[in-house]
Amino acid sequence: MKKTVFLSFFLFLFLSLSSWTKELHSDRESKYILKETRKAISATFPFETFSLEQKEQKLNTSTFLEAHSFFNIISEDALKGYAIIATAPSKTDSFEYLLLFDLNLKIKKVKVLIYRENYGGEISSKRWLSQFIESPEDDSFVYGDNISAISGATISVKSITESINEVMVSLKRLESEKQI
Amino acid sequence: MRKALLSLIIIFSSFVLSGQNKQSYDSLQISSNQRILNNLAGLPQGITLGGYGEVLYNKPENLNAEIDIQRLVLLFGYKFDERVQFVTEIEFEHVKEVYVEQAFVNYNLTQGLNIRAGLMLVPMGIINEFHEPTIFNGVERPSLDKYIIPTTWREIGIGLSGRLNRISARYQAYLFNGFLSHNGETGLLKGSNGLRSGRQKGAESTMNHVNFAGKFDFYGIRGLRLGVSGYHGKTQAVDGQNQIPGSEIGVSMLGIDGRYTYKKFSARGQYALASLIDTDLYNELTGRDLGSKLMGYYLEAAYNVLPFKNRQRLEGFVRYENFNTHHEVGNIVLKNKAFHRKEWTFGFSYHIAPGAVYKMDYQTKSTAISNSTKGQFNMGVGIWF
Repeated sequence: MKKTVFLSFFLFLFLSLSSWTKELHSDRESKYILKETRKAISATFPFETFSLEQKEQKLNTSTFLEAHSFFNIISEDALKGYAIIATAPSKTDSFEYLLLFDLNLKIKKVKVLIYRENYGGEISSKRWLSQFIESPEDDSFVYGDNISAISGATISVKSITESINEVMVSLKRLESEKQI
Repeated sequence: MRKALLSLIIIFSSFVLSGQNKQSYDSLQISSNQRILNNLAGLPQGITLGGYGEVLYNKPENLNAEIDIQRLVLLFGYKFDERVQFVTEIEFEHVKEVYVEQAFVNYNLTQGLNIRAGLMLVPMGIINEFHEPTIFNGVERPSLDKYIIPTTWREIGIGLSGRLNRISARYQAYLFNGFLSHNGETGLLKGSNGLRSGRQKGAESTMNHVNFAGKFDFYGIRGLRLGVSGYHGKTQAVDGQNQIPGSEIGVSMLGIDGRYTYKKFSARGQYALASLIDTDLYNELTGRDLGSKLMGYYLEAAYNVLPFKNRQRLEGFVRYENFNTHHEVGNIVLKNKAFHRKEWTFGFSYHIAPGAVYKMDYQTKSTAISNSTKGQFNMGVGIWF
């Protein structure tokens, strides 16, 4: 029994130490976000090598779109799509999610990158997020209608739904202004 | 033993080293790391404030009404950094009783794994964990969640929680302190409300047996959320008393719950079964009438009559409950039919804003004794922010 306790203590200590580094937390989160973004692009698009080119902020910020980073996805010297890392609110905190678009501004992938709050993290479910890919273009997403509810995560479900709607509105504006 | 420890150290150091290599590789690839902090600059830090409360009016047939601030709960959270957060809820019940409902530190190890320690809610069924008045129908919480699952059930413990995004699941596994069955003077558990009076709530609680509690939630089918919860262990008895046979009993509990939403329609249901061991010895020692099996279920359906795009929701609902704290009794206690209860609740919840609700309903409550049906009218306001 004592050995087990001893062993679990060390296990815990090493787990903690392995995640400890001198760098700032936000830097570590940035790196994690970028790593996950690159992974998602590789899995979504057919090309193997690509680079990301960060663009100036282009989208409108709002309650549901607190911040964002906008990237062009470049492969073989050609623009292949767009990646947007967006920040949206949960009940008392915020979370980052990734949106990947092809050149026709069709959503190819939605992925929650960092979710911080104890409740509401169910929105990270791959299966649930795939609704945003399946829905027809030009349709806005409506919680409860074409976007199904998740019991126990209502606030975050509404938040990411509204947030994606706002991104779409901004992208369509940029498209009409020929900025993308 | 030493070899095992040594190999463990080697495995983990290699993890640490490989992790570091990867990070520097990433930062080389993208030189404009700092600019991504656009996203992370505006993060809320430090203190979180919140709360929920319900003010209720209950009018049982032929009796005076009771008007009560049933509960007012203030939530305080503090985020030490991105990974470590403290959450506490201070509860005022009926204005004058103060409790701590939750007080735990959440340590986020990875996106899918958290270590939690402190005073936490036991994950069993729906309401014990999700009990804010704006997220359940009915002025009163389902009675099953009072008599079989002793809501709000919280104890001090430690454990793991997290999500598995690939399979759309959430898991929780904790070691908790258990119920107090004997305080040295009297037995606390009884037939009418089962385990409820044995909750220690983290207040100078005594402990001599560790209890396990776990829950697995699956939400991979759109609109549907299913949960299975389990609890296993033994009750506690104070020093000196715990040597006496019958002072402690074994407790195993199973909960199955489901919530379904399709457009404006929603439904939920829950089943709970508690199996107690050595209740004969306990009842003999204490003169109590504790049942050996407690069982119950409820089903509820609701429909929102307002359009989706409205900020407000008006949900009409109906709920049927059937539960029995004397589902089975041992050899020395007779089944009390009054403990087999059936309740119908009809009413509506008018959500005047997300987080604020007016509620009204009518309940008929009966037991297995014939002609025992009684009615009750309830109204209430609830808030959650």
